[in-house]
Amino acid sequence: MVKPSRHSTKSEERRAYWLLVLPAVVIYWAVTAFPLFFSIILSLTNYSGGPIFAFDFKFVGLNNYIRMFKDPYFWISLKNNAYIILVSVFGQIPLGFIFAYAIFRKLVRFGDFFQTMIYLPAVISPIVVGILWQTFFSPYGPLTKIVQHFKPGWRSTFLLDPKRAIIPVLFVILWMYTGTYLIIFLANLQKFEPSILEAAKIDGATEFQTLWYVILPALSGVIVTTVILAISGSLKSFNLIFAMTGGNPARRTSVLALYMYDTAFRGAPNYPMASAISMFIVMLSIILIIFTKAVENRYGGRE
Amino acid sequence: MFKKSRMISILLAAFLVVAVVSGLSAQEQITLKVLNYLDLTSPGTEREIKEIWEAFEKNNPDIKIEREDLFGEPFHQKLEAYAAAGNLPDVIYMWPGARSATLHDKKLVKDLAPFLGDMADEFVPAAVDPNNQRGKYLAMIPIGITATHMLYVNQEMLNDLGLNMPETYDELKTMVPKLQEAGKDVVIMGAQDDWVIQSVLFSMIVGRLAGDAFIDKILAGEAKFTDEPFVSTLKFYQQLFDDGVLTPDIVMTPYGTSPALFAAGEAPFTIDGDWRVGAFLTDPATGEALIPPEKQDNILLTIFPAIPDEVTPNSTSMVLATGFGMSAAIPDNSPKEEAAWRLISWLVSPEVQKIRLETGAAIPSRKGITAEGLEPLVEQRLRFYEKYVGTYVLDDVLPPEAYMPINVGLQEIALGMSTPEDVAAKVQKGYEEWIAGLEE
Repeated sequence: MVKPSRHSTKSEERRAYWLLVLPAVVIYWAVTAFPLFFSIILSLTNYSGGPIFAFDFKFVGLNNYIRMFKDPYFWISLKNNAYIILVSVFGQIPLGFIFAYAIFRKLVRFGDFFQTMIYLPAVISPIVVGILWQTFFSPYGPLTKIVQHFKPGWRSTFLLDPKRAIIPVLFVILWMYTGTYLIIFLANLQKFEPSILEAAKIDGATEFQTLWYVILPALSGVIVTTVILAISGSLKSFNLIFAMTGGNPARRTSVLALYMYDTAFRGAPNYPMASAISMFIVMLSIILIIFTKAVENRYGGRE
Repeated sequence: MFKKSRMISILLAAFLVVAVVSGLSAQEQITLKVLNYLDLTSPGTEREIKEIWEAFEKNNPDIKIEREDLFGEPFHQKLEAYAAAGNLPDVIYMWPGARSATLHDKKLVKDLAPFLGDMADEFVPAAVDPNNQRGKYLAMIPIGITATHMLYVNQEMLNDLGLNMPETYDELKTMVPKLQEAGKDVVIMGAQDDWVIQSVLFSMIVGRLAGDAFIDKILAGEAKFTDEPFVSTLKFYQQLFDDGVLTPDIVMTPYGTSPALFAAGEAPFTIDGDWRVGAFLTDPATGEALIPPEKQDNILLTIFPAIPDEVTPNSTSMVLATGFGMSAAIPDNSPKEEAAWRLISWLVSPEVQKIRLETGAAIPSRKGITAEGLEPLVEQRLRFYEKYVGTYVLDDVLPPEAYMPINVGLQEIALGMSTPEDVAAKVQKGYEEWIAGLEE
C-alpha cells in the first residue's frame, strides 16, 4: 500500500476546499458583493442613462450624497422609515409577544383560531393587501360608505392630511406583520420545559413574576433576533406602500426604498443618486443592528 | 428479412429528414422580444391580444413573439431598467416626447423613416413628421393621436338637477352649491398617481392661459417658470379647489377607479385623457359596459369651459399618440431587423388601426380609417379632434427634471401645502439643474 504524501494530501484538501467553497463565493460575488460594490461606484458618478457598461460617465465625488441630504423628500422618507421602525419594534414585537404569551399560557380560549387569524395577513401578498386597504381608506371606499350610514356626508380623509397620511399605512403594517412575530415567539415559548414553569409556580411566583424573571430573560436572544428582523424589514418597506399609496399624497407617505425606486425609475432616472440612497439604507441598517446587538450585550439575559 | 431491414432503413431515413427539416425551420424562426403597453382591465384587451398579437404570429409563423405587457408607471420604470442594463427589447412601445426621453436622447431606437418610405403618405402628416418627436428623427410611428384632456359630462344628471352644460368657468363655479346640496362631487378625478393632474388637466390650463409660445420661450431660455404667465396657471389651478370645483379627495382616489365612480353617478363631470373612452365601452368578453351603448348619448365628450384671460381659447392638450420603435441594437439589414419591421408595420397597419378604433383604444394616425357599428362614445370621440386646437402636454415637451416638480407640486397645492409661487420656484430650480447638467 502506498502511503499518500503529506504534500498530495494538502493539495487534495485545497482542491476540495475550493471545490466546495467556490460555487458559494461566485454566487455571492455575482448577486451580492458585485452589485453592492458597483452601486458604491455608481453613486460617485454622473451616469445619466443608456447602457451602464459603456462607462460613459464621470466621477463627481460625493455630489449625489450632498444632493440627497439637501432633498426634502429624503428627510420625509427617512422620517416615515423611522415611524415604521418604531411601529415594528414597539408595536409588532410587543403585540406579537403578548398574543403568543396569551395563547401559550392558555389565557384565552380558541388559541389556534386566534393564532391563525393573526398570522393570516402575513401570508397574503403585500400588493393585494395594499390595494385592499387603499380601496378601504379611499374617499369613495367602504369605510366612507359604512360611516355614511351613521353620519351622512362624512368622507374618509385619513390619507389626505399630509401630516397624518402615514398613520393608516402604519396601522396596516402593524396589522399585517404582527402575526409573524406571534409565530416566532410562540415557537420559542413552546420550547420551554413545563417543569420550569411549574417550579416557578410552586415557589409562589405570580404570572407576572414568571414572565419577568423566567420567560423574558430566556427569550432575550429571540427578542434581539426579532428586532433585527423588524429593523431590516422596516428599512426594506416598499411593496405594501407602493400598492397602497404610491408614496403619495405629494410623496408624504414615501419611505427610503420607495424614494430610491422613484429616483431610479420615475421621470428623470437618476441612478447615481438612487445608488447613494441605497448605500445610505445599507449603512443605516448596519448601524441600527450594531446598536441593537450592543443593547442586548448590555441588558440582555441568559438563554 | 432483407425487405424488413430495408423498410426500417427507409423509415429511419424519412424520420431523419423530417427531423432535420423541422429542426432547420425551427432554427429559422426569429424571436422578437416586445415591451408592450396594455391595460389588461380594459374591455378591448381580449381583441387586442387575439386580433392583433396572436393574428400576427399566426400569419408569420417564422416569427415568435415574446411579449411583456405593462401599464402605467411600472411600464416606464421597467423600460428605464432595460435601457440601463443595455438589454432593450427588440420592439418597444414608446412615447414621442419626454416620457420616453432616454430612448430618444440616447438614440436607443432606430430611425424608422427609411423603413417607412413612401408609405409615409398614407399617414396624417403630423404623425410621421420627425420634428414632432423629441430626438427630431422618426424614432417611433404613432398609432394614433391623443388628447390628454377631455371633459366627460353626464348630461342626464345635469338635466335632472336642472343644470345646463357650462360654457364658461364662472357658470361651472355657480353649479357647485347645487351639486353639493345634491350630495354630488363636481368633478371626479383619480389623481393618486402624481402624473395625472399634470397630464389631463394642468397641461390644458397652461395651454389656455400661458400658451405654447410661452413654453417655447422658456425652452429657449427667454422666460422662466417663475414668470407671471406660468404662475397664473398655477393660481387658476389653486382656484379650482378654493371654488369647490375640485376637492383634495382626488389626490387619494386611485386612477383606475375614476371611470367606475363617474359611471356610478358620483359627479356629473370627470376629467381624463381621451383613452379613457375605452373604459366605458362594452367588453366583448362579458357583453357588459360601464356605460351601456344605449346610455352613451347621455355622455358628452368636450373640453373644460372657457377660462377668463385665455390666450389659446377652445383648446385641449394634445400629443402624437404613442407607438412602436425598434431597438438600435438590432444589426442593420439582418433577418431580425426585417422581422421587427414586419411587426411594426403590422401594428400601424389599416387593419390594426381599425381594431383600435373599434375598441376605443386609439384614433387612427392613418388617413381614411373608418369602421362600422361603433359605439356612440367612439363616434363622438372621432369628431372630437376637429373641434379643438391642440396645445402642448407638459410631460411631452419639458424634461423630467421640470415636470416631476410640477406633478408633485400640483398635489401639494391641492392639499394646501404649497403656494403657486413655491411650486413655480421648485420647477424653475429643477429646470435650471437640468440645463446645468447638459452643460457639464
